Amino acid sequence: MRKLKIRSIVDGKVEGVALVSPTPISFFGEIDPQSGVILDSKNPLFGETIANKIFVFPEGRGSTVGSYVIYGLAKNQVSPLALVANKAETIVIAGAILADIPLFDQSEEDVTVVIKNGDIIRIDSEKQILEIKENEK
Amino acid sequence: MLDGEKGDAIAKLMQLIVKIGEVNNAEKLIPIKSAQIAGVSYFTVGDSIFSFFDLLLKDEVKVSVPSWLNPAGMDRNKWKTMKIDDKFAKKQFEIIQNYEKMGIETTLSCTPYLIGHQPSYDEHLAWSESSAVIMANGFFGARTNREGAPSSLAAAITGLTAYYGLHKKENRGPDILIDVEAQINHPSDFSVLGYWFGENFHGSTPFFTNIKNGTIDRIKMMASAMASAGSVAHFHIQNITPDAKAISKKDIEERIVFTENEKKEIYELFNSIEGKIDLVTVGCPHTSLSDLMMIESYLKNKSLRDDVEFWIFSSNKIIQSEAASNTIENLESRGIKIFADTCMVVSPAVRSNFLNIATNSAKAAFYLSRDDNINVKLLQLERILESVTE
Repeated sequence: MRKLKIRSIVDGKVEGVALVSPTPISFFGEIDPQSGVILDSKNPLFGETIANKIFVFPEGRGSTVGSYVIYGLAKNQVSPLALVANKAETIVIAGAILADIPLFDQSEEDVTVVIKNGDIIRIDSEKQILEIKENEK
Repeated sequence: MLDGEKGDAIAKLMQLIVKIGEVNNAEKLIPIKSAQIAGVSYFTVGDSIFSFFDLLLKDEVKVSVPSWLNPAGMDRNKWKTMKIDDKFAKKQFEIIQNYEKMGIETTLSCTPYLIGHQPSYDEHLAWSESSAVIMANGFFGARTNREGAPSSLAAAITGLTAYYGLHKKENRGPDILIDVEAQINHPSDFSVLGYWFGENFHGSTPFFTNIKNGTIDRIKMMASAMASAGSVAHFHIQNITPDAKAISKKDIEERIVFTENEKKEIYELFNSIEGKIDLVTVGCPHTSLSDLMMIESYLKNKSLRDDVEFWIFSSNKIIQSEAASNTIENLESRGIKIFADTCMVVSPAVRSNFLNIATNSAKAAFYLSRDDNINVKLLQLERILESVTE
């Protein structure tokens, strides 16, 4: 098991399966708010859903209305369990706060490299620690 | 407000402002004078915004400072002429009405400073349209960060924003001096200069020297291009902008010359039309009355060819004004379509009806050329019009 120190922006205690995007995500246009499915055909995760996963990505990008997409995911009950970014910028922060989705960033390491797709991870905002368990697959 | 004594919606919005402040190491929140709110065009916000409106309207939230809206996805009156379908129009009207219920002025413009909402020097604002943000900072010397759609709305309702970034004097100085050696005369030249700067010096603040004829209309072309190509939010121009006098050129370490070569390179970036132009479009940012009069003078004794359309975008207040009525009538009598409340970037209409589009705006060229099916030509308007008139 590996442990990473992280910063908690929206608090929460979660455990779940990681879905890791190697590229920055524009929530508007690249995620379907109805299903959480990744719509960007250039993303290796194309067609997978972020619903009920711990979604790991480098940072947000694109239109600031992406925050409303994150809120829409929660309203449609397809939100991720948590968001983990290298750098949380305003689009992701605003969306996570509005939607009450736990949000973490600022690990010393690149989370999109250290965490592998399918890893079970556990995050506790009180301890500011992210634990990576063995890959299930 | 944070504790929810004013309702869940206000608590959420307050939490949003506080968290953004914390993440940016802001030591306090400050009151704002006005808010300009993005997230209006149905084309760019989609359906997710409606669930957010439900949260806000359940608590009947209202804005606490003068607030106005960014352009929508269509002209409120002439949407059928734009070939917008009924479903889109219904959703678009619903979005505008929801903002109106919160007490927001439905100006639907990216140039509030041209229609009676000029910010004052040193005033703190929460504006979100990137070209309006950079004009507020650079041209008027007001202070605003590039707010997002939700954060500008949160600021409008709470009247507060976090004190960081461009709100602080120490972050407003220039990073780089740009000596403008190339001839910069036409609005499109200013736009090209801005695009070049944005593309090469992402996020930094320039100090331009040797810019002449810097009218507000030309500078808005330059500023909007810097903001869209490089997320630039502030600028200085020697002898023109309010803070320029206090800046000593000697203190700026990095210096770059903008020559005819750089100018030519940017024009050539947007030169993909091989066949004939089917649309000429201007109004990014929205045209002023003097822009409209300039177009009128270019078209003197000329008429548009039948196989080309000319769409101009402006704000409602300018189009409806007494002073513009003759010019508008004259332009429309030549078959030119003048639309309010929207533009070629945030409306789906231009993208879905035309393939070969000529414009004088580098910002418009940049966004339209992202669509693989569309060919774009960036050129000075007089030259474009020469090729499509008789």
